Parts: sequence; C-alpha cells; structure tokens
Amino acid sequence: MLSRIAHELFWLGRNVSRAELTARMIDGVFQADLQGRPDDPAGVTLSWDAVLAIMGSTASPPKRRKDAERPSRAETVALLSTDATNANSVVASLERAREGAHTVRDVISAEMWEAINAVHLGLADASIGVTGYGGPYSFVSYVKSRTALFWGVASRTMLRDDAYAFLDAGGRFESADMVLRMLRVALPAPGERPASSPRDGQALALLGAVGGLQAFRRAGAAAPTATAVANFLLYTRTYPDSVAASIDAVRSSLELADANPRASEPVLRLSRVLADLDFRGRVGRNDDGGLLEVCEIVGRELALADGDITERYFGGVMSPTHVS
Amino acid sequence: MSATWSATCFDEVFAADGVPRAYAEPLVAELERLGAESLVAAGALRDAIFMRQGITFDLTSPEGAVADRPFPLDLIPRIIPAAEWRTIKRGLAQRIRALNQFVDDVYHEREIVKAGIVPWKLIASRSHFARAAHGIRPPRGVYTHIAGCDLVRDAHGAWKVLEDNVRTPSGISYMLENRLAMTRLIPSLFAHFRVRPIDQYPALLHAALRSVAPVADGDARIVVWTPGPANSAYFEHTFLARQMGVELVEASDLVVRDDVCYMRTTSGLARVSAIYRRLDDAFIDPLEFRPDSLLGVPGLIRAYRAGTVAIANAIGTGVADDKAIYCYVPAMIRFYLGEEPLLENVTTYLLDDPEQLEVALERIGELVLKPTGESGGKGVVIGPAADERRLVELAETVRRDPTQWIAQEVVQLSTVPTVAADGTLASRHVDLRPFAIFGDEIRIVPGGLTRVALEPGSLIVNSSRGGGSKDTWVLQDSEEPEQEPVAAAAFTPPSLPKLRLRSWTGQAQQQQQQLLPPF
Repeated sequence: MLSRIAHELFWLGRNVSRAELTARMIDGVFQADLQGRPDDPAGVTLSWDAVLAIMGSTASPPKRRKDAERPSRAETVALLSTDATNANSVVASLERAREGAHTVRDVISAEMWEAINAVHLGLADASIGVTGYGGPYSFVSYVKSRTALFWGVASRTMLRDDAYAFLDAGGRFESADMVLRMLRVALPAPGERPASSPRDGQALALLGAVGGLQAFRRAGAAAPTATAVANFLLYTRTYPDSVAASIDAVRSSLELADANPRASEPVLRLSRVLADLDFRGRVGRNDDGGLLEVCEIVGRELALADGDITERYFGGVMSPTHVS
Repeated sequence: MSATWSATCFDEVFAADGVPRAYAEPLVAELERLGAESLVAAGALRDAIFMRQGITFDLTSPEGAVADRPFPLDLIPRIIPAAEWRTIKRGLAQRIRALNQFVDDVYHEREIVKAGIVPWKLIASRSHFARAAHGIRPPRGVYTHIAGCDLVRDAHGAWKVLEDNVRTPSGISYMLENRLAMTRLIPSLFAHFRVRPIDQYPALLHAALRSVAPVADGDARIVVWTPGPANSAYFEHTFLARQMGVELVEASDLVVRDDVCYMRTTSGLARVSAIYRRLDDAFIDPLEFRPDSLLGVPGLIRAYRAGTVAIANAIGTGVADDKAIYCYVPAMIRFYLGEEPLLENVTTYLLDDPEQLEVALERIGELVLKPTGESGGKGVVIGPAADERRLVELAETVRRDPTQWIAQEVVQLSTVPTVAADGTLASRHVDLRPFAIFGDEIRIVPGGLTRVALEPGSLIVNSSRGGGSKDTWVLQDSEEPEQEPVAAAAFTPPSLPKLRLRSWTGQAQQQQQQLLPPF
C-alpha cells in the first residue's frame, strides 16, 4: 500500500488512542484530586504536575500562573482537554485524527469516518465542556464512548489487510507509549523512602486512569502499591493496556503488514523488547529501581522503533531514493 | 401531628439564627453561586448516570406496579468536621470491641451472665441466638468483621447510637457510588474542602478477610456469598466482589468435603478459606439450621467448627444485633472494657420488664416501637405518626409477647439542607451509618451512608420507604500533622521527551501544523 496512506492510518490510530488515554487520565486524576490526602496507603493521587510531565511538558499553563504556584486543577484540565491551541490536548488529537480520517476516507469504512467525524460535531455542543460545575465528566465519557465506537466499528467493518494492520499498530503503539510515560512519572525514584513517597497513590490513580483497576484486582491479590501496579502495567500480557501486551500487538500487526517481517528492523526490535520484557518480568529485579530502569530502557527502544517504523514503511515517500 | 416532632431539631448546616456554621460556610456560598438551575441540571444528569449504570432500586407504587428508579442521591453533601468524626470513630470502635467480646462470651464462658448484667433467659430467647455456634472461636477471636451502627443526632446535636448492625449491614456500595457520582456531578463543591477519601474500603475489607482466613496469607481464597440475583442487595454483592477482585458465589458453587470448604471451578475443586456471606445464619447450613433452606451449603458449619474456613460475620453474631441486647451495650462496654461509653444509646424501654411495659404502653403514641429481631426498619411503628387503630393493635401484639419488642423515645433527628425537585433547598432529617471493619484491628472508613428522609418533617429514612441518601464528607483533620504537602512539594516529575506529532507530512499539512504552537 502507499506509504502516505500507511502513515496516515498509523497516525490516525495513534491520535485516536492518545485522545482516549489523555481523557482517561484527566478523569482519573481529577476524581482523585477532589478528595483529600489519604490516611491509608491505598488512597489515590497523581498531581497535575505529574500529568503535565506525562504529556511531555513541565511548562506551566499559560494563564495566571503565579510564582511557585502549582498548576491548578481547572487550568490543567482545560489545557489538556478542550484547548485547541495546545497540540497535546484531547481536542487537538481528535482534530488531527479527523483530518487523517478525511485523507483516508476511501480506505477506512464509512462507519469509521462517521464515528470520528461526529466527535467534531459533538464537541461543539456546549454541554460537553469541562469548565461548568460538572467538571470534565461529560467530556471524558463522550470521548471514551466515541473512541470506543471508532475501534468497535473498525474491528467489525474493516478488511484485515495492511490498512487495518497500520491503523491497529498505531493505536497500540500509542497505548504502549502513553502507559510507559505514566509509569516513568509515577514510579518511585530509587532510594526514595516508601513511607514518604506519594507514589503508591499515584500508581493507583494511574491504574484508575487507564481503566485497569478492576482488571488489576481480578488478576491477583497483590496490594496496590506502586511496585505491584507498575509490574502489572508493564508485564501482564493478559491485560490489553499493559506495555507488554501493547508492544506484542504492534509487532503482530507489523508482521502482517510487512512483506518480509524477518528482515524488518521494527519487528525485530520489538521482538527483542518483548523477549527482554518477558525475561525481566520473570527473573528480573522488579523492585522500584529495577522497574524504573526497565521503563527507561523500553522507552528508549520504543522511540527507536518509532524511527524504524517511519524509516521502513513511511520513508519511501519522503525520500524516494531510499530503498528499504 | 407532625408538629410534635418538627418542633426543635438540630440543623447541621445552619445555626439557630439561620447563619451557616463556620465549617459549612464555603458550601453554602458555593450552592448560592450555583443556583437552583444548575442543581436541577445536575439532578437530571445524576438520574441518567444512575439509570445507565443500573444503580437503581425497585419502588412499588400503591397500585402494586414495580418501577425501576435511580437511587435517590441528594446533591448536597453532609459534612462532618474532623473533631466530631474523632468522637464517632472512637465511640464506634469501643462499641464494636465490646459487642465482639459479648458474642465471644455468649458462646463460651458467659461471664456477663454470671456477673448478673445480662439475663441468660433474654439472650437465649433472641431469634438470632445460635446454639450451633457454641464453643466455636473463629480465627483471632473476631466475630463482627463488618459492622455498621446507625447513628443519629438529637435536638442538641449530640451523637447517639440508634441501632447496631453486626449481621450483614448493607449500604457500603451506595456510600462508594455516591462519592464517585458527586465527583462527577458537582465537583466544584469539593473545591473548598479537604474531604477524606473512602475508596480504600474494598481493599481494607479484603485485607481484613485475608487476615482471618485460616491459611498462609498468599493462598487465602476469599469469596463473597450471595443468596442470588433476586436478592434486593444483589447490586452490593456484585459490587463488593468486583471491587475486591474475588468470586461471587452462590450456594450451588460451594461444597464441603471432609470438613473443608471448596468451590466448584472449571479446573476442579478449589479450597475456599474465607467467606463473606450475605445471608442470615438460618439459611447457611440445612444440617444445622433451617432444614428447608435451599440457599445453604450442607456441612459448612462442620467445616467452620473444624477451623478450616472463616465466615464473616461469624455464626451467631445476630445475638448482639438484637434490639433488646442493644439496651445492654453501655453496660457491656463498662463490663468488658472498663470504660465509659463514648456514644450514648437512645433512651430505650425493655418491654420484658412489666413496669417499663406499662409506662411504655401508656405513652405508646409518643414512642417508637421496634420488634427486636428485625432489621432494616421492618415492623417499626412510630407512635406520633400512627393512627389510633394501629396503636391499639400494636399494644395488643406487644402485650402478647413483650420480650420481642422494645420502645424508644422519638429522636428529633438532625436536619441537613436537601435539594427539592425545583432546585430550592429545604431541611430534611438524616441519620448516619458508618461502616467498621474488624480484622487485625478495627478500622472505620471516614464517613458512611447518610440516609435522608425526602418528605418534609418525616423521620423515615429507609430508601424502600421514600428515603434518599447523601454523600458524607469527613473533613481532613487540620490538627493531625500533614506530611503530604511536604512530600508532594519535594516531588519533581522527571521530564520526558515531548509527545511526537505526525513525523512526516506533506507540505500543506506541515504548514497547517505550524499553526499549532508547540505546547
């Protein structure tokens, strides 16, 4: 298939996924933030500082930021959800997804296009804002249901060909990347005293944020400490949003789409990451320091895989002389 | 008639002069800012969310039609300042410790009977007294793993205990769902308060059950046992199983072999070491209790007696739940703990006593009469609200078997502003059911289920009879040292690479992208 189209599909998947995960994170953190600090370790918090860091920025929100004042709840929520001028906001991701879907309207099914185009119209509805007394709930649930609809009709109506493979690879790649980012921010730094660490709560908020609380509880009896949650979100293949499961899905999709997967750098690299994750998940040092190290390694590898994917599948158009 | 009880009562938000109490000021200000319109809109959203999530209850209309109604959560939270909560917490812990010891005593040495404090005749005649539990001491000596005491505030604002629920108190799921709904419906109300979270409850319950399960920690399989989907509290059963990540079982899933309890799974029998049961003693084992029970597991009591399985709450705790025994709780606290009760009882007349019976029957129109063995407001008659004929009938019933009844003074339940259908505020009566968990130690989740009577002047808070509920906020203690802001301030998130946007784009798209300033 055309590199340009493959690229659009890959980023369509990434943008839809990013919008959903950002919305879920806002929801989880917002709810936790409303309630006071816990007197029990099972309490929940993930600061807005941390959320901004996850979104790749330590910059302060533009408006009314006084010295040494931490970003406020309302400002950060608006910045990350409905602020179209912020490229990392949910609305911006959805807008990019719509543009992408528009470009590949002939490749994706009509129902998928409708699902994504309707978001655009739906968000214009004033009742779906985040600034009213209702907070971001209606916004978040709208985004969650529309993105789920998109993936649902995609799985029912799209041929399982290269096009689907790139779309799916993009969506899962973004999940792996976002969850990994969340872990890197929420994990305790090595040497930090657990008692003073606010991060057990952060990890739990994070679990809530990706929608995995119930899965975590069903998966095992571990107490929801930062370490246990991080282990779960990194290694548990049976949980679809875990880093390992997402990377596995990306690899499978690329294997399908690639004419010669055995010679494909991204496939090989992801296979190595997966083998490494499996190995470390079973025999590695899975205390906090060890986990943080794994997250950093996997993060680096994912960035390289991202480059590999661009190079191998999308590079052809950008530099026609390049033969892969 | 209603004048007799709406006369003077304690309002938790407004002092006598109509000025908001200090801790409630920000709430009142925020409600004024929101206005009636927002409250009506939030109410509509609440109903939609609850209907969608299936958090409903069946309301039977006078014509007999059953309608599915969204659970009536009132949008105004009930606030409990930290200092008051400290009293409640200590008082409840003390009470539950005494009740637990009482259950142990009843089925073992009977010291309290020997000391002449509680008559044996009374204990043995209670409907929930379980002979089968005699001599069984469950792991750690804990009987009342899950307890919920109903508290009320009298006309002076003092907290009093109205009832003890140590069999299978329900309502915890509504407490947790209420909080979740409030954070979604009107988050701005939280802005000026530091509300203590409650969502650790399922984890605490799980830990408590694990701590009493008679095997090594890692292997303990815990289950929630429900009578089945037809039970009115089935939502709560599924909720707790889901929140704890354990199986929800029915009787047909459980089987006892050689005094060990198992559940049937697709990979064979799996040992069960702790059961959180949500049905009464009478039904759990047809070999020991009601032989006609189809909901029970034959042989379970044998396994329990053999110590291979923990049952929460323990068999026979119902005896401490009885309303006639309730009268003796303050004496129990003094006897077992050597302490003065921190929370008082409501003035109660034991009708077993001929003198008290005569006094009570004379004033039957001013008192509340309750059957001793029931729970959930069943059979309760509020004198001032009942008509003459009902009272005459009642007096006859009570005379026939006075040991099964108690009489209590009417308590002028405190009031809290509540949203009416048109968004305006009106005072309504409330009670409070905090939930305690007893495993290693007694832990009480800050807050509880506040039930509110939605009819003006009414004292009936049961949801089956038109009552609603409120989210209950226990405020952060400003006196307790707060380590948290320090820890949070010290935390600097690591900086991660920026999120990538599309890596390759055509020229036109590149130009478009430049219009979006990087964050």
